Amino acid sequence: MSEFHDDYPQYELMAHHSEEEGKTKRRTLWNVFWIMLIVTILELVIGTYANSLGLLAPDRTSSFLLKVIFVGLTIGKAFFIVFSFMHLGHEKKVLKYSILAPYIIFILYLIFICIAESIYAGIYKQKMDVLIVKQKIELNEAAASGHHGAEEKHESPTQEIKEVHH
Amino acid sequence: MSHHAVAEKDSGSAWDGGKSPFGVSYGKLFMWFFLVSDALTFSGLLCAYGFMRHKHPEVWPNPGDVFTHFPFYEGHIPLAYVGLMTLILIMSSVTMVLAVEAGHRNDKKKVTYWLFLTIIGGAMFVGSQAWEWYHFIVGTDHGAIRSVFENGQWVDKTIYGANMTVNEYGLPVFANFFFFITGFHGFHVFSGVIINIVIFINVIKGTYEKRGHYEMIEKTGLYWHFVDLVWVFVFTFFYLL
Repeated sequence: MSEFHDDYPQYELMAHHSEEEGKTKRRTLWNVFWIMLIVTILELVIGTYANSLGLLAPDRTSSFLLKVIFVGLTIGKAFFIVFSFMHLGHEKKVLKYSILAPYIIFILYLIFICIAESIYAGIYKQKMDVLIVKQKIELNEAAASGHHGAEEKHESPTQEIKEVHH
Repeated sequence: MSHHAVAEKDSGSAWDGGKSPFGVSYGKLFMWFFLVSDALTFSGLLCAYGFMRHKHPEVWPNPGDVFTHFPFYEGHIPLAYVGLMTLILIMSSVTMVLAVEAGHRNDKKKVTYWLFLTIIGGAMFVGSQAWEWYHFIVGTDHGAIRSVFENGQWVDKTIYGANMTVNEYGLPVFANFFFFITGFHGFHVFSGVIINIVIFINVIKGTYEKRGHYEMIEKTGLYWHFVDLVWVFVFTFFYLL
């Protein structure tokens, strides 16, 4: 068949196909392209309108819903790329799962831990901001009244908070 | 007896040696494994971005207000140019897969044609990204007032554009992530274009025609689709959420 030859075990070098088979394959590929094009335009339209209407503000319920829609559409597009363009859908089952399983297991854990930790970090940051403002007000009041006792009383907690914050 | 022997042979035959258990060549298998590791790298970066995004929801810049430029147009259209970039990359992914399909039919002329279009699309995308970076770094005409740490104290200054330490649009960490992740992806696209050019020269020289199969197009195609796949996620996380 060719001058190229290695001593590795046999495998199907390339799935050769005829002109008619090529026609159907090309039609499928173009269909996938149109689907991806429509999904991308949909995402852009939703993104632009939601932004101009202020629906993406972090305190609104609509922002969470829109985020779920965006991520869902993205995963849909990723599925089409991997299974159709990268041909993984037509590979052997054992190959499919040795590619997908390790990745999915690690990524699910990474997403979980990032969300959990970022929620904690956000709450902690807010608490610290409130505490620091409170401390500043109290210190200003103490300085204005000229009462030494109050100043001494608030000295150590302020330092402690500053250390944690920086 | 013979029936039993056949069944036993079939169940273990894939791993008995003499043929590939995965049904793919060495090169393609390891391209897949490389892509898994690369996907984990990108996922790690995007998760770190998500962490900071989720930690600072109120002060995080809104991408719709940041990326509003369009070439040869004075006004502001949010997300239009990045949408065009995404379409270019998806388009080049389709031309790549059509080159692979032409390779299956040993059609050298069509492989050359589609691979050439893929290279053009990739180059256009890298150029667009450079343009986007330029506008992000230069910033708007009016700028924004941000407090900057200078000579041991915090002072309010008007900032134009973004770099690694200050950011007109919001938190500096947004700019850091933007430069790192889109830069890392842009470097992948750049190397993909270089690889495609090398393969393109080989196709014209007739290397794969002599070899009898165009499997090399399929391997570089995997890498190219992966670059497109990463961009789909970068686009969603940076520009839409």
